[in-house]
Amino acid sequence: MLACKEINGLPASENPTELSADNWTIVRKQAGLNIRKQCMHCLEPSCASVCPVKALHKTPEGPVVYDASRCIGCRYCMLACPFGVPTYEWDKRLPKVQKCVMCYDKLVKHGKQPACAAACPTGATKFGEREDLIREAEARIANDPGHYVDHIYGLKEAGGTSVLYLSPVAFADLGFPGVVDESYPKLTWDILTKIPNIVSVGGVALFGIYWVVNRRMMMERLEKGKVEEKEGGAS
Amino acid sequence: MSKWTRTTWRSIFIAIMALGLYAAFIRITRGLGATTNLTNDFPWGLWVGFDILVGVGLAAGGFVIAATVHIFNIKRYHAIARPAILTAFLGYLLVIFALMFDLGRPDRIWHPLVMGNPHSVMFEVAMCVMLYTMVLGLEFSPLIFKRLGWERPQKIIHSLYIPIVILGVLLSTLHQSSLGTLYVIVPTKLHPLWYTPLLPVFFFISAIAAGLAMTIFESYLSARAFGRRLEPELLQGLARVIVVLLAVLLVWKIQNLSGRGSLHYAFEPSTESVMFWGEVLLGIALPMGLLMFARVRESNDGLFFAAMLTIMGFILGRLNVAITGIMGSSTTNYVPSWMEFAITTSIVALGFVLFSTAVRHLEVFPQVERRTAAREAFMPRRPVFAGRVLLGLWGFLLVGFALVSFIDTRNGPDAATARVDEATFAPIVGYGDFNPPEETRIPQHEDSPGQVIFDHQTHTDLKEPGCASCHSGTYSMLGNDASRPDWVKMDFHDKNHCGGCHDGDNAFDLEDDDECASCHME
Repeated sequence: MLACKEINGLPASENPTELSADNWTIVRKQAGLNIRKQCMHCLEPSCASVCPVKALHKTPEGPVVYDASRCIGCRYCMLACPFGVPTYEWDKRLPKVQKCVMCYDKLVKHGKQPACAAACPTGATKFGEREDLIREAEARIANDPGHYVDHIYGLKEAGGTSVLYLSPVAFADLGFPGVVDESYPKLTWDILTKIPNIVSVGGVALFGIYWVVNRRMMMERLEKGKVEEKEGGAS
Repeated sequence: MSKWTRTTWRSIFIAIMALGLYAAFIRITRGLGATTNLTNDFPWGLWVGFDILVGVGLAAGGFVIAATVHIFNIKRYHAIARPAILTAFLGYLLVIFALMFDLGRPDRIWHPLVMGNPHSVMFEVAMCVMLYTMVLGLEFSPLIFKRLGWERPQKIIHSLYIPIVILGVLLSTLHQSSLGTLYVIVPTKLHPLWYTPLLPVFFFISAIAAGLAMTIFESYLSARAFGRRLEPELLQGLARVIVVLLAVLLVWKIQNLSGRGSLHYAFEPSTESVMFWGEVLLGIALPMGLLMFARVRESNDGLFFAAMLTIMGFILGRLNVAITGIMGSSTTNYVPSWMEFAITTSIVALGFVLFSTAVRHLEVFPQVERRTAAREAFMPRRPVFAGRVLLGLWGFLLVGFALVSFIDTRNGPDAATARVDEATFAPIVGYGDFNPPEETRIPQHEDSPGQVIFDHQTHTDLKEPGCASCHSGTYSMLGNDASRPDWVKMDFHDKNHCGGCHDGDNAFDLEDDDECASCHME
């Protein structure tokens, strides 16, 4: 937490219990444990999917990063995030979204580990390749089944995340949000991909209807005209 | 309209605008936090729920009537095509205007144009709304060209009118439904009474019904205000379509809920179920039932009242998705601030004024009707009724919000307090592996009697290390090499460093060699 503040130049705050624009990670004491909360860095992040201006994106290394110069402040990322991570500078006149970016530009991009993992004196936060961490988590659960709950939070949650948790207490009791295991962006992408069909079929259908209806009315008019002509000729 | 009512309405309008301007000033100078009750876990409120979702939906009459007249060629509806298109055009302009207040960076509203993300529903909505507003401008432009006496542009628009209308219908279909798709990505945040992958379909159907109801509403009001006759047979036709749409919506909604296994939520006592039944019974079933009777459809007041109910039900439905349905997953008990209400109300009031200004200066309603209006049998009754219904609309909304804030059973302050208590009293374990850096060598100053090696183990309580007492500010948590050279210049004895804990101003007794040696060991 302190390391995060230091590297990101965030102002000090007194025991924060929720993420905010000044607190990109927090440690909450709950059910006898210290629980750290920060961005989960989803494999398929909904925040990046919903952003209309690509201000958020998933880097190849894993962190989900934010480009403040693109952001229009619609706050859809905040609504869409199933973990409630992105926060807003509500008090600023020209505000930004703020969240953990896993020290991407400052450390991870240069092959170093993020500040939180580097500073952690107990090894509670460990940084590494996702596959290695999953292997280690599985080994820890297998070696000490009495201690850990048999669940790696983040393995499947929201389609899988780059942050993984092990716990001796059920995650639901620790205030971890219930999320579905499927990829969130897929939910809307399945609908968005129908648009080309709607436009082409709809466009053709509308022109067709217009053509048929108009032609029928024209024929009716012609018919009427002929009848009137005949009647006119007869009298 | 009597002089008294006119003055009353004018003063109400001025009061609304004054409050709105004040709120707008605060919004621009001090930001969203000072203006709204939005929070990090409730980022979208009244401005998205009403100004955007409701605003766009109520403007749907424009594309429906345009399609009826120009594509399906039901020419008799031509009489109401212009006002419907005008309503839609003004509606969309106001939606964009309202968006400027909700966006954190309104100066960047153009960003989606050049930085678009095709995966984003919001991007799709933004593009469609922008293009459709241009289409509406084109559909409406003949009236302006006519007024200006420009023949050529009028002819060009006329020759392109069918493709323009078709484009408008396609764009409307896309974004009216996509406003629902916005919420398809929040399956765990939106309450199951409203969450369904069919949201775009429901948004589309309800927008058409509400758009048509809005056409009836505005025909009635402008008939009253501008002394024109109503087009009863046309409006009754629209009412019949509304009945069908509401019936489809009602059946499909209930069927979808039961299919998803979520219908039981509607029968559990909760804010959500109350708001759900308010929407379904008062806003869908009741107007549908009323409009099924020919007597209601053929009475001006009955028709107007049922249209109002449809509109209110639509508003409640949208706010249920945007506010009621999201509240359960949030710790915020969101009630819009007075400034949020003030800006929203001013924008609505602005819409009424712009509409009547346009009607006065452009040929929105065919001229003949205006002249013969006085003699028509279908002059609606005294205006009092409409005023009462408008008040009713706001009353309905207010009661809704009051319900949300007062009978909230699941996420009231109790739940939040419980969480905090648990956090405070929980025993703390898990520092067993606390393993701080072994020895930290402080660079030796030239005057120093020997190097100091700081030992974390002897300086911390291993059960409760309290890292913050030294690491929030003074000493780098990161062991940042870049900050180390400064250490040589620092006086570690003063109260900002070792002295702070050891002995106040100066750490230890500087004259006592033994004390020096306890730290300067090498």
